[in-house]
Amino acid sequence: MLALAGWYLASVEGHFTVDTASSFFVLAVGLKWLETRRSRDFYVLFFILVYLAAVNFLFQQAIGWTVINFAGVLLLLFGLQVLNAPNLSARGLAGGRRLGLMLLKTLPVVVLLFVFFPRMSPLWTVPMVSGQSRTGISDTMTPGQISDLAQSSERAFRVSFGGAIPPHRELYWRGLILDQFDGETWNQRQAEPFQVPAPVALDDGAEILKPGDYSVLLEPTNQRWAFSLKPSIALSGNIAPAGQDLFRFARPADTAVRYRLSRVAAQLSSAPTLTASERRRYLQLPAGSNPRATQFARRLAQQTGQPVGFIKAVLTRFRQQPYVYTLRPPPMPTDSVDALLFDVKRGFCAHYASAMAFLLRSAGIPARIVIGYQGGSPGLDNRYLIVRQYDAHAWVEAWIAGQGWARVDPTAAISPERIESGLQEAVADEGSFLENNWTSPERYGDVAVIRWVALQLDRINYQWQRWVVGYQGQSQLDLLSRISGHLSLRELGYVTAGLMAAALLAAGLFSAWRQRGHWQQDPWRRLFDKGLHVIRQAGVEVYPGDTPDVIAERASRRYPEAEKELAGFARIANNHYYGARSAESSPAKRRQDLTRLKNRLVRLRRALRQAGSSRKLSPDR
Amino acid sequence: MKRIWQRWVDRRIPPADRQQLNQRTIFILPTGAGLVFGLLLVIMLVTGINYQNSLIYLLTFLLGALFVAAMHQTHRNLNGLDLILVRAGEGFVGESIPFVLRLGSERDEAVSIQLSGHFSPPGLQSVGAGGACDVTLLAATQYRGPVSMARVRISTRFPFGLLEAWSWMRPRTAGLAYPRPLAPVQSTLTDSEGDHQAESVVGAGFDDADIRPWREGDLSHRVLWKRFARTGAMVIADWAGEQGSPQWLDYAAFPGVDVETRLSFLCHQVIERDQAHQLYGLRLPGIIIEPAQGGVHYRQCLRELARFGAASDESGGAVAFPRPTEARR
Repeated sequence: MLALAGWYLASVEGHFTVDTASSFFVLAVGLKWLETRRSRDFYVLFFILVYLAAVNFLFQQAIGWTVINFAGVLLLLFGLQVLNAPNLSARGLAGGRRLGLMLLKTLPVVVLLFVFFPRMSPLWTVPMVSGQSRTGISDTMTPGQISDLAQSSERAFRVSFGGAIPPHRELYWRGLILDQFDGETWNQRQAEPFQVPAPVALDDGAEILKPGDYSVLLEPTNQRWAFSLKPSIALSGNIAPAGQDLFRFARPADTAVRYRLSRVAAQLSSAPTLTASERRRYLQLPAGSNPRATQFARRLAQQTGQPVGFIKAVLTRFRQQPYVYTLRPPPMPTDSVDALLFDVKRGFCAHYASAMAFLLRSAGIPARIVIGYQGGSPGLDNRYLIVRQYDAHAWVEAWIAGQGWARVDPTAAISPERIESGLQEAVADEGSFLENNWTSPERYGDVAVIRWVALQLDRINYQWQRWVVGYQGQSQLDLLSRISGHLSLRELGYVTAGLMAAALLAAGLFSAWRQRGHWQQDPWRRLFDKGLHVIRQAGVEVYPGDTPDVIAERASRRYPEAEKELAGFARIANNHYYGARSAESSPAKRRQDLTRLKNRLVRLRRALRQAGSSRKLSPDR
Repeated sequence: MKRIWQRWVDRRIPPADRQQLNQRTIFILPTGAGLVFGLLLVIMLVTGINYQNSLIYLLTFLLGALFVAAMHQTHRNLNGLDLILVRAGEGFVGESIPFVLRLGSERDEAVSIQLSGHFSPPGLQSVGAGGACDVTLLAATQYRGPVSMARVRISTRFPFGLLEAWSWMRPRTAGLAYPRPLAPVQSTLTDSEGDHQAESVVGAGFDDADIRPWREGDLSHRVLWKRFARTGAMVIADWAGEQGSPQWLDYAAFPGVDVETRLSFLCHQVIERDQAHQLYGLRLPGIIIEPAQGGVHYRQCLRELARFGAASDESGGAVAFPRPTEARR
């Protein structure tokens, strides 16, 4: 126990994240499990496990996980039921049925609550769900090293478009910009500007997408990058422009986030310009690295002159000379640009983007590397686009005076298939597509059944993410406003409270009605009960099992004045319950009898009251 | 405060040997676990709000709604339960006195019913819909006299143990605790004399005793076993002494002994005489039971001893337990 606690403390190292907290819970469950003796221990275990199920939703929100998680919670409840009814035979079936019935009854209320409960903004800033890095692009690029991102078919994000999905070659999803080269690695000159973490709305509303709009559902990256097409403007409030035509979240995306943009160029008042310091920044090169490439670029620049001519000349060289796009390039440890351009001539996007940017800068043209994703595969029925990790891409932007930043993608010159239809086509001859990833369904994309099943599953999960997991404040307000005009959070609170009160009231009324049901159904029984009540109130004992005659006789002994009424009442009761005719008499006759019984009851009550009061007036009797 | 509450409950639940539980008499509150569960729901809701996690909301709402549903279920578990005191037992002080309670259910099944009160708690009881079951409650006794089951608490925590519904039953009929039998010390002499006499009667009476062969129906202690050992013949001695002079067990026979001890002595003697199948009568101040023999007589004597001194007309009334009495020994 102590060893475990020590191990836990050592592994946490004083950092608090949800990760460490939930691992504490897991540890607690493991230990508690070992010492469940009394029922109290089981309750402690139950509470920890239920909370753990809730915490699990912070990490996993896919529909399959949700189903498993809920099934686990129901099993826990079933366990509690068994704990509380240990002597019940056939408890398995009956208990399950009882629990299922209960669940069925509560389901409408749960759905109502889920739809109407106001989604407040976070009450305070909470720690990250997880401090661990996730699969995804990184903020540095070292062309000499092999990137294993191309071997991952994990989803990066999914996009819904207002209107048709743009052609594959236009889908350059920009994430971040690398502008500093040290001879081996490209990185950001300024690290991401610090920003006070603020809550980020996780959804972008439920309004219908207009043509040109697009909505991105980003998987958690633990980064602040919001991938976007260029040019775009932000529509949802959870992303903000961050310069360089990029967008950023106010807080690393540690859960799935949905944001919305529109492909509209921001209106510029004047032609774009580059300041002197920016110019220096985008021309920076390490001294003395890659001498052959430097020389080549200077010579070519003298020949071509204009930046546009230079770019064309380089792309022509890439296209005409035997450069190969491959996922298995040989290692190029030193002077990687020289090696790529003149010796090896084999590489993937990072190599070519690095070489292109190097050549441009050597020729005096400001240039920068853009990291992001390119393309994406359509989901079922072409309704949305799935962008996966292997769609990660790097390309170059060059500054052309008067025009601004222009995209230059050397990969498009070397391997047009990569840009036109994606990685799988580009490396089809090589057979290196997802070669280390046996379990990925995308690897077997040419088998129609697997492809169809994978797409179906993805669609279900996408809808789940959009409408259930992503049913947050903005979506709620949009949807409910669509139903009933404009709604504020406060009004929503009133609506929720009202609905719940109504549900509770209905349940209460139902059980009360059920309680009274068994005698209300029979008007005879009700009248007899009233009669017995009257007799009891007059002070006459009525025992269970007494026949009407016995009761009447006992009452008449005490109240001889009311004897006639009592006997009459008893006779009707006897006739109804024991008489031979009662079963076959017509409904009209029955109604008549009932009226007679009512009259009898009134007379009986009066007679007993009179008898009782005369008794009081003369107590000596 | 507690007294006011008790009085209110007593007004609501009059003493009766039969009680059907309904919403007037059933109380329901969350248990400790239920309170913790509520706290857990709040924590989960705050987690859901802060992490903007819809699925945590969903889980919280589901558990919350199930909690309310469990409230209805727990209540319904008791609702309509019919409780009847079938038999209030009798026994000696120090023994456990059995009370037989019948649980019947009209419409809904009642699961995991716990009965508690001044008795050793039986296990959880379950009654099927339309069924009934008898539960024997063993009440420990410390004092002589009527033993009332002041309150039987009927509770259930089914299905999840997060809520407890409970009610009380206040049976009207009381059981009876006889005095603890105690061999009289002072009168050892007379007693042994009596025994001796009886024995001498047996010994001497062989001559005038009718000795006849064993017949079916003869009690085993009437067999002359000594003779059986000697001769192997089972014979019965019908001696005249049996029908002879009755013995009076008298309250006044133990001068200087306090009331309870006297009653204990008398109780012992009653048992002794009954076992010896002798005729005996009982003389208590104000009560005389004519000499007789047999089970009915035996019970009557024991009951008079048990009730002696207590206001005799109150015997069936509700006597609070434990009884504040000077009868402590």
